[in-house]
Amino acid sequence: MILVWIVWVVAGFACLASAVAVVSFSNPFYSALALIGNLGSLAVLYLLLSAEFVAAAQVLVYAGAVMVMFLFVIAYVGPRLETPWAGGPGWQSLGAVLAAGAIFVEIIVAIALKAGGRLKHSEHVNAPFGSPGWIGRLFLTDHLLAFEITSIVLLVAAVGGVILGSHTRRRETA
Amino acid sequence: MLQGPGIAWYLGIAAFLFATGALGVLIRRNPLIILLSLEIMLNGGNLALIAFSRHAGNGAGQIFALAVMAVAASEVCVGLGLVVALHRRRLAMDVDKLSELRG
Amino acid sequence: MIAGAWLCLFAPLAGTLAITVGGNRISRLAAGWLSTASVFVAFGGAAWSFFGLRAHGSEHGALSTAWVWLQAGTFKAGLSVLVDPLSTMMMLIVSGVGGLIVLYSIGYMDGDDEERRYFAYMSLFVFSMLLLVEGGNLLILLAGWGLVGLSSYLLIGFWHERPTAVAAAKKAFVMNAIGDATMALAFFVLIAHSNSLSFATSFATAGHLSETTVNLVALGLLGGAVAKSAQIPLHTWLPDAMEGPTPVSALIHAATMVTAGVYLIVRTHPIFEQARTIELIAAGLGTLTLLVAGLIALVQTDIKRVIAYSTMSQIGYMFLGAGVGAYANGMFHLLTHAFFKALLFLAAGLVIHALSGEQDMRKMGGIGKVMPWTRWAFLAGALALVGLPPFAGFFSKDAIIAAALHDHWYGVVLAIAALAGAFLTGLYTFRMYFIVFGPTAGSDTAPRSQTHEGPKTMLVPVGILAVLSVVGGWIQFSPFWHPLTNWLSPVAATLGVAEPSNTQEAIASVFAVVLGLAGAVVAYAVYGQRRLAIPRVPSLQRALEHKLYFDEAYDALFYRPAAAMAVSFRREFEEPVVLASGSDLGEGALELGQGLRRLQTGLLRTYVFFLATGMAVLAVVFLVVK
Repeated sequence: MILVWIVWVVAGFACLASAVAVVSFSNPFYSALALIGNLGSLAVLYLLLSAEFVAAAQVLVYAGAVMVMFLFVIAYVGPRLETPWAGGPGWQSLGAVLAAGAIFVEIIVAIALKAGGRLKHSEHVNAPFGSPGWIGRLFLTDHLLAFEITSIVLLVAAVGGVILGSHTRRRETA
Repeated sequence: MLQGPGIAWYLGIAAFLFATGALGVLIRRNPLIILLSLEIMLNGGNLALIAFSRHAGNGAGQIFALAVMAVAASEVCVGLGLVVALHRRRLAMDVDKLSELRG
Repeated sequence: MIAGAWLCLFAPLAGTLAITVGGNRISRLAAGWLSTASVFVAFGGAAWSFFGLRAHGSEHGALSTAWVWLQAGTFKAGLSVLVDPLSTMMMLIVSGVGGLIVLYSIGYMDGDDEERRYFAYMSLFVFSMLLLVEGGNLLILLAGWGLVGLSSYLLIGFWHERPTAVAAAKKAFVMNAIGDATMALAFFVLIAHSNSLSFATSFATAGHLSETTVNLVALGLLGGAVAKSAQIPLHTWLPDAMEGPTPVSALIHAATMVTAGVYLIVRTHPIFEQARTIELIAAGLGTLTLLVAGLIALVQTDIKRVIAYSTMSQIGYMFLGAGVGAYANGMFHLLTHAFFKALLFLAAGLVIHALSGEQDMRKMGGIGKVMPWTRWAFLAGALALVGLPPFAGFFSKDAIIAAALHDHWYGVVLAIAALAGAFLTGLYTFRMYFIVFGPTAGSDTAPRSQTHEGPKTMLVPVGILAVLSVVGGWIQFSPFWHPLTNWLSPVAATLGVAEPSNTQEAIASVFAVVLGLAGAVVAYAVYGQRRLAIPRVPSLQRALEHKLYFDEAYDALFYRPAAAMAVSFRREFEEPVVLASGSDLGEGALELGQGLRRLQTGLLRTYVFFLATGMAVLAVVFLVVK
């Protein structure tokens, strides 16, 4: 029990700190690394919530593939240092902080008001909850449509990526 | 039986992630960092989904979270393609300078 | 009989449409013959109706309605034609004389750039006039009335590059519009009381109206008649209307349109008889016009203006006849006048055409030698106009004077004035004849070697009209034989007060002929032989030359104040308030746009910020509401 709490505090703190770090570093490379940390801590939190498969997918897909892609592009583009709060109309920075703060507060308030009492006791779940087999069965029975649509989305994105990437090459040959 | 803190704490973290991601989108000028901030926002949403899924004992939340992950991957793919195209055309990596839609 | 009436009505309309649709695809000559043919077909239809009605007996007039043209609540007016003695008579005159004049136009307008438009307008005019006379209810009559005004405007301003022609057309239209307005008001009163504009109902209602009401109605109708027939005080448009081509002057401003006022009075005589005062005012106005026009004609130098004033004067006779109640006599004079006035205009047109558009009489002297045919025709018309037997005018004019003589003491006054008018008629007519066709050449004349008679298409109508001017009057010689009065009696019976005794007839005829002859002789002495000289009275001469200052008076009374009002309105109200509010609205919109433009920074971050803010606001709203 105590272990769970300790793990939770550490992972939670890492999550929050890395999120702030992503937003504050001026070097995009460091921001990307911070994001990887964020994703890792999130995976730990998912494990605490009995979502094993999702945690594994998070690490493999998100941290493994997507972030690697990010790092490739950042390396390709080169270092572009840029200070976070500069530029834009004067009111924009203050307004941004206010807006973000407002969103945070509102979400908390919304949850507290609407579901405050009911969040105390979570359901009891069996062992297969969150396991790959269980997820797989759900994908192929209850949520087949979501599965298929997701695959189409991925296909479209792949095509789009290829087109975006090949644009200059066509121009060079012409 | 859920051990550790209640769902509400997870939701609190999710809210913070979302707000931080929004702040990042609003104040950064480098498109890469904006995309990273978007990822944080999506992750915040994912965390909320997983938390509720555990709370209700319903698998739909996890399924949806996986779908969100797939969509996030696709979006990153296209977004990075845009950034690479920007770089190839020697345009500034600064969303403030890319303002041809100025009225 | 009815079919003839419909044919008569729609044949010229078909002609107009055919020429309009044909456009440049038909030759100019074809347009001319198409128009002529359409009017002659109308004449055929008119003759058919006439003989049909004669066979049935003239008291059996027939009304035929094609469909309900206008319906507003319980008020209904149909597109109907009326075949009765009066309308058939007018149909024959309009289509017959009209056909001859359109035929003449083929030669007269030859070579003009826009001949097709001319012939389309001519057919349109004939259709409008036929609509007016054939109309089976007052609304159709009004429709024809308005269309006739329109055709007149189009034809007067035919040579639209001439500013004088355009101004004259506008003047004619506006003055006619005044008459249209008074007529419409009269019709409104009738509708208010009887909810119908059919002839029978309106005439019956007139009997039940109060005296002021019926006087107002009659006054309104008289206003329209005065405007259309160019009687004082709405007469100033007619001399200016001579800007149009001569055949137009012949058809519209001599034979047909200007006689529409007389037709109106005769047609609505039951209403006028209820308002006898107004009827006598009509007679008075006619007599006044008769004299004034005769005087002004004495100093005119433009040949067409002399004939125009003569028309005004002769219509004054018709108004006199209709006003005292001698409807048949008025119509008879309308008939003979159509013949000889059209003849005079067409003959004058031959001279004008031969001299390539010259209209000043002083330059036309001595042309009789080169154009003998025209000269004889013109002489026939002149003799008919003055009213010397056995020419047409004698029979009709004297009957009017005699009828006036019979009608109380004011009739005698009017008759004496009419006789004075006869003297003036002789004077100005033969002044014109001798200046133009006299043996001596005019003061500044061009060499005459080139001039010759016109083409056959122009001479034939003139010849026919000359014959009619001679024999046309033989149709009635009251009191010995009067088929025309009998023919018209079912619809326009002469009032008892206007049936002269035989002595009165004799006195009238003798005096009229003597005075007319005297006028001719004086004219011969002054202008033909140059033996006499008219004493000069410069102020009188100047007054007559300025047409008794009517134009100047109307200008000062109506035009100047209206123009001043318009200018001050524009300055005080329209520019600061109306126009400025429009431009203020525009400027306001622009400023709003500029303001909103500042939101479009083009920066992604700004747009996202608005997104986030909007989302936050919405979340609050949902939280509060739910």
